[in-house]
Amino acid sequence: MSTKPVKKVNAVYLLATIFLPIAIIVLGGFIGYQFFRDGGNGAVICFMCPTALAVIWWVFGTTTIWRMRKKNMMKVLDEQGFERHQTFYGNNQTVVVDMKKGTVAMLFFWNPFELYVLPASRISNAWSEDGAGGAGFLRGTSRVSFLFQVDGVKIRVDTFTSNQRWKMEDPKVLEGISKADRWVQVLEAARQQSSGV
Amino acid sequence: MGFFEKFLAKYQDDWCKECNCAMEKLRKQLYALPCMIVGHYTEHKNPEFYIKNLHKVEKKADIPSGMYACGAIQYRCPSCGKRVTLLDPFLPVRDEEKHEGNVLFCNGELDQFLWW
Repeated sequence: MSTKPVKKVNAVYLLATIFLPIAIIVLGGFIGYQFFRDGGNGAVICFMCPTALAVIWWVFGTTTIWRMRKKNMMKVLDEQGFERHQTFYGNNQTVVVDMKKGTVAMLFFWNPFELYVLPASRISNAWSEDGAGGAGFLRGTSRVSFLFQVDGVKIRVDTFTSNQRWKMEDPKVLEGISKADRWVQVLEAARQQSSGV
Repeated sequence: MGFFEKFLAKYQDDWCKECNCAMEKLRKQLYALPCMIVGHYTEHKNPEFYIKNLHKVEKKADIPSGMYACGAIQYRCPSCGKRVTLLDPFLPVRDEEKHEGNVLFCNGELDQFLWW
């Protein structure tokens, strides 16, 4: 059981994700400039390879780590005897609930090396937001989510996101709202189980 | 028989396919489908599945969030007397409903379970 306060973003990981490839590009450029001033294959390798690797890293790196960490999370939970009754794979976080023990496990995209397993009694509040905006025929949403607070930290898990605004009656939006409402109930039930209510 | 009636009989579930006329609603009942939750709906055409999984409820508010509901309506053709049961699985979401497509049983497969 994790007693640490929940941290959604690991600043070192975030900065390393952005700046480490830049540092490698600069280093490659420096080596190329120092040792291959006259050009040739060495210069091409020094300038091109780090740049290509950096682009590959920015495009696939974090998502690959995230995918692997999620798999690892499930393995670790199973080893700990955590019963995965409910699991939600969000874009930036994964939430798993053991309804019997009243525990919640969380993993965050920007903090993928820290798995939080905590009693649901630490959740102080859970609610859903349909993100409705606009008036008349323009009324709609581009994001539906359920939110909860752990030790005062607000965690938002999106159940529907889009770069456009969708009507509130749209099946995709309705499904998102239903998932959010359901998860609020799940967290509430886990909280009651954990507090022994 | 007009083209319009034939069209309706072909595409409307509450029209008799043989007589091409509107059927009358005999009875209806709401059920919960606890085995189907939001995001995990799969269509079933096997009556056994519904016999095993439908649970009678009085009103929509009795169905928890994220659980599917299923409306059952029995129709009878006023001309030939044929009875048809229409199942309408849907996801209740606050004041709205997300319908998944009707399932029709024309040979009384569910009559014993639903109405008696």
